[in-house]
Amino acid sequence: MLEAIDLTKKYGDFTALKSLNLTIKEGEIFCLLGANGAGKSTTINLFLNFIDATHGQAMINNMDVTMHVKETKQLLSYIPENLMLYKNLTGLENLHFFCGLGGGNQNKSELEELLIQSGLQKDFIRKRVSSYSKGMRQKVGIALARARGAKVLLLDEPTSGLDPKASNEFSELLLHMKERGVTTLMATHDLFRAKDTGTHIGIMKEGALLEKFESKDVSFQDLEKMYLKHMHN
Amino acid sequence: MNGVLLIAKKEIQIALRKKLIAALAIVIMGLLSIALYTGYVAYNQQRAIIEQAKHENRTEWLEQGDKHPHIAAHYGTFVFKPKTILSLFDFGLDTYTGTSVYLEAHYQHEFMFRPAQDHSSMIRFGELSAAMVFQILIPLLIIFLAFTAFTEERENGTLKLLISQGVSYSSIVKGKIIAYVSILFAIVIPFFVIAFILSTVITDSGSIPDVGLRVLFLLIVYVVYLSIFVAFSVWVSMQSSTGRNALLTLLTCWILFTIIIPKTTANFGESFYPLPSMKIYREAIQKDIREGLDGKNPKIAREQQLKKEYLQHYKVDSIHKLPLNFEGMRMQAGEDYGNKVYDVHWQRLIDIFNHQNRISSLSSFITPYLAVRNVSMGLAATDLNTSIHFQKVTENYRRELVRKMNLDMAQNSKYGEFYEYKADKNLWKTVKDFHYKTMSAYEILSQYLIELLSLCCWGLVIFFLLNYSSHKKKPVL
Repeated sequence: MLEAIDLTKKYGDFTALKSLNLTIKEGEIFCLLGANGAGKSTTINLFLNFIDATHGQAMINNMDVTMHVKETKQLLSYIPENLMLYKNLTGLENLHFFCGLGGGNQNKSELEELLIQSGLQKDFIRKRVSSYSKGMRQKVGIALARARGAKVLLLDEPTSGLDPKASNEFSELLLHMKERGVTTLMATHDLFRAKDTGTHIGIMKEGALLEKFESKDVSFQDLEKMYLKHMHN
Repeated sequence: MNGVLLIAKKEIQIALRKKLIAALAIVIMGLLSIALYTGYVAYNQQRAIIEQAKHENRTEWLEQGDKHPHIAAHYGTFVFKPKTILSLFDFGLDTYTGTSVYLEAHYQHEFMFRPAQDHSSMIRFGELSAAMVFQILIPLLIIFLAFTAFTEERENGTLKLLISQGVSYSSIVKGKIIAYVSILFAIVIPFFVIAFILSTVITDSGSIPDVGLRVLFLLIVYVVYLSIFVAFSVWVSMQSSTGRNALLTLLTCWILFTIIIPKTTANFGESFYPLPSMKIYREAIQKDIREGLDGKNPKIAREQQLKKEYLQHYKVDSIHKLPLNFEGMRMQAGEDYGNKVYDVHWQRLIDIFNHQNRISSLSSFITPYLAVRNVSMGLAATDLNTSIHFQKVTENYRRELVRKMNLDMAQNSKYGEFYEYKADKNLWKTVKDFHYKTMSAYEILSQYLIELLSLCCWGLVIFFLLNYSSHKKKPVL
């Protein structure tokens, strides 16, 4: 579903991503771990076609994201670390707007139901987003992904700054989407969340993917040791 | 719903919820209402005054009693430039050019050439008119409306989310432009509809098609002008890293476009093509009348030549034996020569004005404000071209009036007989009442082709910039 082929991004002399080769199959949740500047967000931005690759290809469903901009965007949903919505619109209005952009034709009551299913309190659905917490906004993001019927989720540190409860709710929503065959690429600092939620884990450092494995093959303690070893080296 | 329209709808929704924008829109609509009302009151007052004065003058002319035609020619009359209905929208140069002129024999009284009186009408800093609101204040509203168009999306992170939905930059640009232009339409269209209805109520029915056409042209020109400002503001917002930078850039451009460049070009125009002072202008005319245009044909010689020609033509040896009063013909010949001299000097003055105006017209390629200001004044018939046109019509009227008096004197009185001969009301009636019809909307627009071309160029340049930038932009740099 997602494939990076020799994907490289350079800013002048600085290499943000070094020849990344990665395949994520349908229904997998691939968690990218790494310190700040490791290349996690760069990878996601390249899949989103937010930046141009210096070399290589980012493919979604066998389509190059730079060649099939619209088609690939229709398949994916993106939730950044801090999902920002339009503050002067309500959660429902935001969802309705973004769904409409993606070609969705759900009516407002259907979207309202989706927001509730995504964990947003009913009282807040028709309140302006300016009164929302970060967790509430992330839930709108999940509702958006569901409403759009996204096949691919690109998440850039989505649980960063969320309280444990909200973080857990978010993970559950991801697992629920996994069951529906949604493929996820998630950049995160949260080892516990990666082990708990991810099907596969990759460790990145200085733009390179150092290691990748299935999360079921390692315990949390092993994962932590492995991660720290790479970070200290 | 189409993505572009969805973005437009969202933008309108957000703009309406922003208190600053709502407050500014209310202020603008308030100012427009005040400007329209004061324009309407001023129009009605001036029209009433002009109508009354016109009527009184005509009565005075017809009831001046029996007198010698030449005395009647000096008694003269006043003519008035009628207030055009759209002058309530754009006062233009009316305040500076005046609305009435005194017509008499031998002398072209000035009323429109204030610049020749050491003051330039090119430099004006307006009263509150609806045109001023449209030309200067609404662009300011646009700036406050659109400076955050992209910077806010970028700073808040919503731009990434938008792009990740598969929306292209050009769709966002189009959506935003449609939204802002729609907001402007909500202000502009009702205003023009009200202005048109008001015009049809207070103008005579024969003028309605022309007024309608002018209002339509004004609407088109202002929509183009304001759309240029909208598109430019969106483009600046797209290019700016922060909202603060975008606002500073746009406010700087606004000051340049609406204040500094127009003032500077007006001053350039005056410096490159200075006008003679009134004293020099008048003295030059008198000198040429006295000495002849080539300086070798003095008045006495011209009169002797005329006398010789008449004597030869009628084959007599004395002007007393002529079948007409030579004095009348001499006066008319003097008048004709004076007119010829006046035309030469007047044309020089017009040429200077045209040069100054050309600078103003060409400067509209630097600021669209000058283009819309000039075209707006033209369509409202309060511009310099209309004043010059009116001057030509009044001068022709004056010449015809004097010619009729001189010919009557020549045909009906005897040489040497001045106080004895008196014409009566029948002669005064032969001078038709003065009526002035402004140029048609098409004639006016044909005088502002440079301005119209510049507006098209502005539109094309902005379109190119937006198109180019939309395809180059990425949400993450």
